[in-house]
Amino acid sequence: MPQKSVLIPWRPVTSVVLLLLVWELAARAKLTPPLFLPPFSVVADQLCRSIADGSLTNDLALSLARAFGGLLVGTATGVACGLVMSRSRFAEWLIDPFVALGFPAPKIAFLPIFILWFGIGSSSKILLVAFACIFPVVIGTYNAARSVGRLFVWSALSLGSNRRSIFFHVILPACYPRIFTTFRIAVPVALITTFTAEMVAGGGGMGATLIYSQRFFESPTVFAYIVVMMCVGLVLDSALLSFQRRFLGWAEN
Amino acid sequence: MLIRPEAVSAGAARLIGRMSPLVLFIALWYGACSSGLVNSEFLPTPTKVAAALADLVSGGEIARNLFVTLFRAAVGLALGSICGIWIGLMMARSERFKAYVTPIVGGTYSLPKSALIPLFALWFGIGNVTAIAAVFLACLLPMIVNTYHGVVTTPKVLVWSAQALGTTDRELPSQVLLRSAMPDIFTGLRIALGFSFVLAISTEMIASTSGIGKLIFLYGENGTYDYMFAAIACIVAVAFVADRVTLLGMHRLLRWHESAAADYERRRP
Amino acid sequence: MLNIVRPKIEIRRVSKAYASDHGPVLALRDTDLAVGEGEFVSIVGPSGCGKSTLLYIVGGFLDADGDVIIDEKAIMGPGTDRGIVFQEYALFPWLTVEDNIGYGLDRQHVSATDRKKIIDRLIGVIGLTGFEKRYPRELSGGMKQRVAIARTLACDPAILLLDEPFGALDAQTREIMQDELLRIWLETQKTVLLVTHDVTEAVYLSNRICIMSARPGQIIEQFTVDLDRTRPREELVLSPDFNTIRNKVWLSVRRQALAAGQQNVDPS
Repeated sequence: MPQKSVLIPWRPVTSVVLLLLVWELAARAKLTPPLFLPPFSVVADQLCRSIADGSLTNDLALSLARAFGGLLVGTATGVACGLVMSRSRFAEWLIDPFVALGFPAPKIAFLPIFILWFGIGSSSKILLVAFACIFPVVIGTYNAARSVGRLFVWSALSLGSNRRSIFFHVILPACYPRIFTTFRIAVPVALITTFTAEMVAGGGGMGATLIYSQRFFESPTVFAYIVVMMCVGLVLDSALLSFQRRFLGWAEN
Repeated sequence: MLIRPEAVSAGAARLIGRMSPLVLFIALWYGACSSGLVNSEFLPTPTKVAAALADLVSGGEIARNLFVTLFRAAVGLALGSICGIWIGLMMARSERFKAYVTPIVGGTYSLPKSALIPLFALWFGIGNVTAIAAVFLACLLPMIVNTYHGVVTTPKVLVWSAQALGTTDRELPSQVLLRSAMPDIFTGLRIALGFSFVLAISTEMIASTSGIGKLIFLYGENGTYDYMFAAIACIVAVAFVADRVTLLGMHRLLRWHESAAADYERRRP
Repeated sequence: MLNIVRPKIEIRRVSKAYASDHGPVLALRDTDLAVGEGEFVSIVGPSGCGKSTLLYIVGGFLDADGDVIIDEKAIMGPGTDRGIVFQEYALFPWLTVEDNIGYGLDRQHVSATDRKKIIDRLIGVIGLTGFEKRYPRELSGGMKQRVAIARTLACDPAILLLDEPFGALDAQTREIMQDELLRIWLETQKTVLLVTHDVTEAVYLSNRICIMSARPGQIIEQFTVDLDRTRPREELVLSPDFNTIRNKVWLSVRRQALAAGQQNVDPS
């Protein structure tokens, strides 16, 4: 079998390039109305302009700040709840029905409540994001803590550790990889919730500008912002992945 | 299978036990409102919300809009699942297909699907198509990923046994690959179900004239918060029931699976 | 090499190489083997010598250089003329016992009445009456392997390929299953190719044993086994002629294992 070129992944690159080419040509050939599909070059141009005049950077910074704020609050609360639930039957009994009800629910439906309580500024969005992130994090953390191999715990017990020290020195470290995976899953949730909340309620940020551009039929901006959102997601996920590989590579899975 | 009365009452008792924190919550809610701890402007009492809910149900408001939302979610979910399963299957069977398709799939992974709602609104207006398109795209990814994983982890010896027993290449996916992948496909389906609700509601809040999402939004704007809370409670309940029904279906169809344990669903998201 | 007129299976100069990080690895090199109709041939050898690979090539699941000729025609992939039983049972977990057994019949669109007849007979043969509607996850290892064998027999293949079929079973179950297999072979007169690392098993079951060298595998020695198998197990296994052959085979395999640098040949 001939050696495939490892340097350039031909097939993936080909399909992306092909897609962009088709886009550009179809748009230029006026196969679709320019409103619906502006040429890729026009979108790229708009992108550069938005970066240049600072509007994109401002929006992005605001959205990311909200997303991360909510993510941190939600993850911290979620991990704490999950761990407490895994150790205490009472906590588990108390919190479980809310998690069971909340997990399948579309959290965005709660946005009007948060706006009612906290206004249309950043705090309502941050809290909604936290609310959205809590549920997967609690479940993931709870499962991780419960599934720490009995053998680990028994070994520690036989080596003379008490229950408290086992928790902090055996169970918790064993959970880190799975908790981190849960965190990785929560990141797109945080981004989606932020963008959607901004689209619904306004108040600045990527989502607000996106819907604003749509209402005023500025399609190059619409496309440009979508591209940026996609790149943000990509960059964040690869960053998290490499972090996980470096610092949590010791986990079996 | 005979259902023993003791088992029924034991099950009912367990259910009540599990639900009691919710009762506690409602009691606290009521207490907070009536004691004046919380401004009734911002938090209507449980009784007012219940009354609003009753009114909505009897007036048919809920039924009409719920139907619209569920219709959009269901159609998008169905289309997204069928396409997702097909794409995942193709990716697992053909290295070439996988190589060409992966960057597109990977790209959509990082893209928050709700970001496409304005774009679809631009293209398709503010009717059903926009919502269905958004749900479709959101459901696509988990179905592709899970189907791919399920098919790719089909043990080789199963495929070989099937071939030695006369399975043609055309029959292989339906007879072996997709069946072996069923647990994974169902896991993806549950995730996609959740997405379908989120995207349907999101679309309705952003760019629609009907549906529960729009209803919630309108009540919020009008200041009739008891109706707003009622509508939210409604969709939370519906989403919960839909998830449970899917779980039940999963258990029935996956009876044969190794890890089909009783309390499995409570612990796994 | 034994001269067999019109062999059922002919393996001619089969070689198989795998790609690895350190370049191609040769699993089999110019392996030759002829199997006559109705023979029970075992292939024994040290771990990793390629005996399972050879079986998979005969089954048509792996490509290789060289030829595999069955009934004087080269094979073109898997086929219902060669039934296979794996060590991992490979039952379809989503099908009941009777649907597993009937799987091959369903692919051939056998009529419902015929299907029922064949399945009922086989369930009786493997002694699992009453378990028709169970799923594989409810069965023990021995039961699963019996279903796997029944499933293969349902299509009535002329050749049976067995890849360490009893390796995952405990010692007692293994002996019971070996007797079952022997009985089925004596009854049906099928051509059987068995891969095993258990020397005693090979001597007990087969009428010819092929020793495979360490990797890259080649058949380097063969033993004919001419025992009176109507004797009960207790008599047979403790008899001197059984043990003479067993010792010779074991020694041969051990030499190969040592050549491969391994110390872990099963001395049982």
